[in-house]
Amino acid sequence: MGLKVLLINFKMVIVTFIFGFSMVLSGCAPAVMKPSPEVYRETPREADEFEENAEKPGLSPRALAALQLTEQGRMFLENNQPDDAIGILERALNLNPNNGRNYYYLAEAWLMKWNVGQAAEFNRLAEIYLKDDSEWRYRVRLQRERIKEQNQ
Amino acid sequence: MTKKKRSINIFFKRLLKWYLPTVILICGIMLVYCWYLSIQIDKRFSGRRWSIPSKVYSDTTILYPGQKTNRTLFNEKLRRLGYREVAHRPVDKGELNRSASSIQLYLHDFIVPSRYKEGIPVQIRFGENRIESITNLNTGQLLPILELEPEEVMLFFGPHRERRQLVSIDQVSQHVIYAVLAAEDRRFYTHKGLDPKGILRAVYTNLRHASIRQGGSTITQQLAKNYFLTSKRTFIRKLKELFMSVTIEVMYEKNEILEIYLNEIYLGQKASEAINGIGEASFFYFGKSVSNLSLVEAATLAGLIRGPNHYSPYIDKDRCQKRRDMVLNAMVEQGWISDEELKMALPLPVEAVGYASYGKKAPYFMDYLSEQLTVLYSPQDLSSLGLSIYTTLDTQVQMAAENALRTGLDSLEKSNPELYRTDPQKQLQGAVIVMQPKTGYVLAMVGGRNYSASQFNRITQAQRQPGSAFKPFVYLSGLDKFTPASILSNESRIYEIDGKEWIPQNYEPMPEESVRMRNALARSINLATVDLAMQVGIDQIISEVGKFGFSTPLKPYPSIALGSFEVIPLELARAYCPFAADGVLSYPLALKEVLDENDIVMERRYMSIKQVTTPEKAFIMSSLLQSVVENGTANSLKKMGVAFPVAAKTGTTNDYRDAWFVGYTPDILALIWVGFDDGASIYASGSKAALPIWAGLVNALPQYVSGGWFRMPPGVVKQVVCSESGQLAVEDSCPHPIEEYFLADHVPIDHCAIHGDGDSFGRIIDGLKGFINKF
Repeated sequence: MGLKVLLINFKMVIVTFIFGFSMVLSGCAPAVMKPSPEVYRETPREADEFEENAEKPGLSPRALAALQLTEQGRMFLENNQPDDAIGILERALNLNPNNGRNYYYLAEAWLMKWNVGQAAEFNRLAEIYLKDDSEWRYRVRLQRERIKEQNQ
Repeated sequence: MTKKKRSINIFFKRLLKWYLPTVILICGIMLVYCWYLSIQIDKRFSGRRWSIPSKVYSDTTILYPGQKTNRTLFNEKLRRLGYREVAHRPVDKGELNRSASSIQLYLHDFIVPSRYKEGIPVQIRFGENRIESITNLNTGQLLPILELEPEEVMLFFGPHRERRQLVSIDQVSQHVIYAVLAAEDRRFYTHKGLDPKGILRAVYTNLRHASIRQGGSTITQQLAKNYFLTSKRTFIRKLKELFMSVTIEVMYEKNEILEIYLNEIYLGQKASEAINGIGEASFFYFGKSVSNLSLVEAATLAGLIRGPNHYSPYIDKDRCQKRRDMVLNAMVEQGWISDEELKMALPLPVEAVGYASYGKKAPYFMDYLSEQLTVLYSPQDLSSLGLSIYTTLDTQVQMAAENALRTGLDSLEKSNPELYRTDPQKQLQGAVIVMQPKTGYVLAMVGGRNYSASQFNRITQAQRQPGSAFKPFVYLSGLDKFTPASILSNESRIYEIDGKEWIPQNYEPMPEESVRMRNALARSINLATVDLAMQVGIDQIISEVGKFGFSTPLKPYPSIALGSFEVIPLELARAYCPFAADGVLSYPLALKEVLDENDIVMERRYMSIKQVTTPEKAFIMSSLLQSVVENGTANSLKKMGVAFPVAAKTGTTNDYRDAWFVGYTPDILALIWVGFDDGASIYASGSKAALPIWAGLVNALPQYVSGGWFRMPPGVVKQVVCSESGQLAVEDSCPHPIEEYFLADHVPIDHCAIHGDGDSFGRIIDGLKGFINKF
């Protein structure tokens, strides 16, 4: 009970102080304004939630199909076949451009082919698309360091 | 010595003196001739035996559950791939059984670089224009993805236009060999190139029937004739044939001779192309490899050797069947098949798979590809080395593009008869290119309305003014100083170019004196765009545009803002790709791989990328171009069934000489151009002439529409601003606040100067309310 009264009194003090201070400053300083909540949506709509979810790997059939190709590409990389990996990963990319792993593996493939320029380009794109995944973000960072090393 | 004895002695003396040396001399000459022939034969057989045309293939087709499909284009695709309809569940590769809601398909085997895919029977179920499921009919397993083989789109023929697929004797089944021997040379394995018994037998049979029923030539003789000699019927030619046959028999094993023969023989005609060799013929007549031919099919093919077009099942089935039955009976006579096998085979009808005789597919794409190939290979190599050339072409997209262009141009001519020209060289033209923006894959290219009338490729060779289709590059150049909410002047001004006055005008009169940048691009407002260009600086625009790979010169004139300099349509399409690809410019890719005849990769091309703008600017450009469709010059797209998010730009040049439409989604980008080659007016804008073609194209390609949109990069901020000032909106003051995207370091910090000076007390109360509510 005592704590509640104390909190109300504290609010009153703050309100009074800010009110008085604002009255003094309102004529010379820009007011703190918040954006209008009623917004006319003139900017085009973003993809709705279903579309967003549909594009997440593992949910949309398109993404699932693309993941199959990504996996095939990864296998080629494991078998040290970067040329074959690139061909498959490009198809995966066309099917689902939002899967950052494709860019990551493409960077790996180009690293294997000692093409640092292309590896760096794909690593940069992987960074954009994998920014929300901490584990992959870490892998992308390590890859970037390897690219730098190879470039030296 | 008696008289008799003396005459014998004289005979022997003469023999020794004249005849024997003569015989020895003749034998010697024959031996030398045979030795000479053996060198000729070895030279031909040890080198490349045949000129095999290189084949160009489309890309493979990927199918997956949930994928939207255009059933009409899909069915066409299956037909072109050689799948044949059967009434039963498919049991052989290449068979197809269709019902209203599903397709059962026995896939062909195929090889693409580093991958061999063995054909399996599958069922593809459809529901509401989507693939519902794909099932492996062998195992009942649901498949997440299915790849259809690449489609043959072109052959690089030599002067003889021969199609041939080489087979080794090990691939040829025993009943094919027996059928051929029964039809052509029963004692092949026992004679030495000549078969006197066979010749006598042929003479007897032909005399008995008073017609040519049998030939006496052995397989080796036929080979010698086909490979080295002309078909002239002269004594000398026949003599040469005999010598050659004997020489071949001495030099080569029987199976080797048979293999060369089976690959050499002429077996029919597909339009202007000759079908040569049993390997090609088994696909042409039965849609399967030679190792999979049944007994009756083998006998049918063997029967064709005598007269491929006379006995062709495509010409006269009854005649073909009679000849086949003769072969089957001959096989029984030799004991190569049993009476029971014959009894089962004879009632079976002759069933050929049929073929589509078509002209050159995707001809402009092929010309574009050929230009790249001829840098790598000579025309002679292309027509003889039997290369397999894999491309990025998607034949379904190509068909859709050709259909959309044809329909669109026909419709334009109908709506305005002035556009109609009787001379095919002068008729209204159009061009389409479809690309995948992330990778630069060229999916389809239509360089003109009618390839046979004009081979000029308007996508790769034309240079035309882009008009307003160039504006996005001006707006992109401005993003370092301006935001989509910036206000531009819409007032008419006079500019001086090379001492002459230039007064740009809007497409239609507009009362507004100023306009927001987003609206200026959406509505393609010329005056505002020129205002932006002049504030940004023409040199800055040229520097920015230079990164996008245009090869045509751009001069520092203000009119550049309105697309007054000519561009190549392919380069314009390519330049739009970075907007859809996080600012990355990819090189247009048509050629993917070249394999030699042993499927060894000789050449590979990959997507090649280069960053030309930031992902943040690319995202904002896509958002601005989406407004063109949402509430700008391309808003009619929605009425044409395009209900998914699209970024696009229309373009129209002076006097309506060119109409453009470039539209894209994250998955696909297509550019349409419409105009006359001589620059005559088409009396229609980009939104009237080119946009409907784009809509028709994309509506036919549901498999390329994911409905998704671009992800907002972290360096982009969404903020509410006043639509009139472009500054931060003030609640209850700004009448039309809007949401707008900004680069993170270009977010407006000032509040609306137009509506923000009003009730300061009210604003304080609002501020306080917000602060207190935090507690």
